[in-house]
Order: sequence, then structure tokens, then C-alpha cells
Amino acid sequence: MTPKRQRRWAFRSSAGAAIGPAAVLALFLASPAAAQGNVSKAEADAKLRYCEVCHGVSAQGFHGYYPIPRLAGQPTEYLKNQLQAFVERRRTSNIMFNVGHVLSPAMIDALTTDFNQLDPKPLGGAPKGNIDEGKKIFEEGVPQANVPACASCHGPAAKGNGPFPRLAGQLYDYVTNKLTNWEKERGQNPAQPDISAVMQPIAHSLTQPQIKAVAAYVSYLE
Amino acid sequence: MCSLNSRQIGRTTRRALLAFPAGRVLINAGSRVGFAAGILAFVLAGAVSAQHRITGSGDVQAKISYCKDCHGVSAQGFNGYYPIPRLAGQQPEYIENQLRAFIEHRRTNNIMFNVAHSLSPAMINALTAHFASLNPPPIGGAPRQLVATGRKIFEDGMPEVNIAACAACHGPEATGSGQIPRLAGQLYPYMLKTLNNWDKERGRNPTVPDAAAIMSPVAHSLNRSQIEAVAAFVSTLRSPRGTPNTVQ
Repeated sequence: MTPKRQRRWAFRSSAGAAIGPAAVLALFLASPAAAQGNVSKAEADAKLRYCEVCHGVSAQGFHGYYPIPRLAGQPTEYLKNQLQAFVERRRTSNIMFNVGHVLSPAMIDALTTDFNQLDPKPLGGAPKGNIDEGKKIFEEGVPQANVPACASCHGPAAKGNGPFPRLAGQLYDYVTNKLTNWEKERGQNPAQPDISAVMQPIAHSLTQPQIKAVAAYVSYLE
Repeated sequence: MCSLNSRQIGRTTRRALLAFPAGRVLINAGSRVGFAAGILAFVLAGAVSAQHRITGSGDVQAKISYCKDCHGVSAQGFNGYYPIPRLAGQQPEYIENQLRAFIEHRRTNNIMFNVAHSLSPAMINALTAHFASLNPPPIGGAPRQLVATGRKIFEDGMPEVNIAACAACHGPEATGSGQIPRLAGQLYPYMLKTLNNWDKERGRNPTVPDAAAIMSPVAHSLNRSQIEAVAAFVSTLRSPRGTPNTVQ
């Protein structure tokens, strides 16, 4: 049985952790003006820097424990859709669920605009052996497997548009993982089908070597 | 053409030369041209064999024992005058980067500067592979009541106050990956010191920015009690027997 004095300190330190000064500031700033759609530049910058801890200093992506994707140059609509999917658990990621559910609409607007305007060089590092095959699949698809050309939705330069993500400069191992695990991670609420259903048959039909070829190809596009 | 004989080189020199394979070449070289070529071969062979020589297992063992004098008999870390970190199970790429940072004074530590700048690349490979294979239990000793809060910060981050989840980069069991260090079982006071003093110790050459910049905003955002909580949590983590590292 811990002595009384020690127990009181344990409560104080955990309370102190829960109500840190930054949280007090956040409460202060959550005034009616902020709720209506204003987010201060300082707040937005601080949040951007927080995103960049994992996603890279110019959101170019990062090889963390998991490959953490490039956000730079992403269409704002795609980013908003994904954040919503994380929050509604239609897309599984515990870390991104936590990130997403504290973001106000105004903050999401500010962040997605910032990310869209960043333009760092691709992280690189993918094996270069099958890039030509990847380019062929990207531009022509795999007709005998009913796989349409990626370019038809993602654009000829893989820059994406609206709800279709930019693939240019995306991390090789991120694209490989996502295509390989599409069904396990996306569209996880069958009662709420979403646009990820479009990619499901494609991800399913592509073989592993094809996935790796396409992933390597797009990872070098600028 | 005759080979070098005891009239051209002294007895001691002859014996010394014969100790090395390249030296025998020199002795038998014969003509002056051969002698000059032999000198060149001897010097080059000496340089190359010096690199290979220190991966002889006796030298590596001696160096490992030397590291363990401070870092603990199984590299589990040690509470010396300063907390000396755990190296057991550490990512080889991370240790290599830190050794280079010590040498280049991007990371300030006089003791480790002296240790690091005498290590060859071959020795560094041998050492880091050895440390990665060790898996002693954590030293422990952190305040237990902080561990639950620390786990929450580690796994979920604190998005309301812009603190990223440590697990995103360090892994769900804090085993690290590539250049990202293992934190599992790291010493509690070492973690406190490192996070509290990040900018004073790391990334010390502004003209040579390094990976230390990634952690700088995180260390900045965490307050003292959050640092204590996270440090306490990771200091308790251990890896299952036989898998000290998750290989990425």
C-alpha cells in the first residue's frame, strides 16, 4: 500500500500531464471565432510542424517503423477524405485516428492547403530494375488482367486530381504495402462503402512483381 | 640479380621484414626496381592488412570488453556518474550514426569522442552486430506510477498538444528501425537527460544538419512530466527471448 503522500503526488503528476499549458492555451483559443472557421496562423504552423515530425520536414515522407507517406503535393480533397476515413475507422490506422479526430474543419482546410503547396524532391531509394515495366503498367494498364491504366485516374504524370491521390514521389514501400494490403486497410465499414472500392479489384488483380514495378516507377516521378 | 642479403640490410630489419608476407617479397626482390616495387607493395599491403587484422576475433573481443566496462556486462547500460545507455539490441545503423556524430562533434561527449575516433569501419560493423544480438532484461528502477501515462503518450501521442506518437517511428514495441533507435529497456535517467537536453547535445553543427533535427520539435513539445512518463514506460519494455531486434 503506497503511503498517502506518494499517492497524492501520483495523482498530481498525471493530472499535470493531462492538463498541460498547451492544452490550456488550446481551450482558450477554442472560442466561438475559432469554431466558426478561423484558425490562427500560429496554430496552423504548429500543427503543420507536428505532422512533419512523422511525414518529413517538407512532407516528403519518412521511413519510420512503418513507411510514412508523402503528403506534399496531394490534392486537398484526397487528404480530407482520408482524414475522415481514419476518424470513421473506414481506414485503419490507430495513430492517424488519434491525429485526425482532434482536427477542426478549419484546421483541416489550412493543413491540406499547406501540404498541397509543398514540392520537395522524391525520397527515392526504390530498386530501379523494373521501372520500365512499371511505366508500361502505369500508362497502359494490364488489359489481360482487367487492370486499367493508372494514368486514366491518377493523371499521366501521377499528380492526382480531386479524390484521386498523387502518386508521383510516393514512397516505394508505402505504395507496395498499400496495394498489397488494400482490402485489409480500406473500406473497413461494409455498411458505409467508400471510394476505396474503386481500387479494390485493381489491387487484387495486380501481381506482386507488378505492384513493385509500378511502385518503383511512381516513386521517382517528380 | 641477387636478393637482398645481410650486407644490404641489417639483421633486425631483416627479421622485422620477414614477419610480414609482403616483407618476404621485399627481401627476395633482388634489383633496385624490384626493391622499390617491393617497398610500395609492403606499404600498401601493410595498410590493407592493418584493416583486416583488427577483425581478428581477439581484437574484437577485447574491444567489446572495453565497451562493456562502461555500458554493462551485457550492454544493458549502467548508472555511472552519468547514466550510460543500454546498447543491447540497438539498431546497428543508429549506433554507427552516433559514433560518427561523436567524431564530428555533432553530438557532444568527450569520452565518446575519444572512444569513437579510434574505431575502423570493420570494427564498428563487428561491434554493432554484437550489441544488436544481446537481449538482457532492462535495468528498471523507474517510478512505476508513471508507466501507464507513458504508454498512452508512446502509443497514441497527444494530438491536442501536437505530440506525435513515438510508436509511429520507434515501433509499437520501441524496437526502432534502421536509423531510428531502439528505446525498449533504455535507462530511465538516460531518457530524461536525452529528451530534456536534446538541443544542447545533438545536432551541434548547424552547417551539417543531421537526423537529430527530426526529434528536436518533439523534445521541445514534451513537458517535463510527459518526458518522465514516456521515459518510465520505455525503460520497462523488453523484447521476447531470441528476438532482440525487429529486422526491418
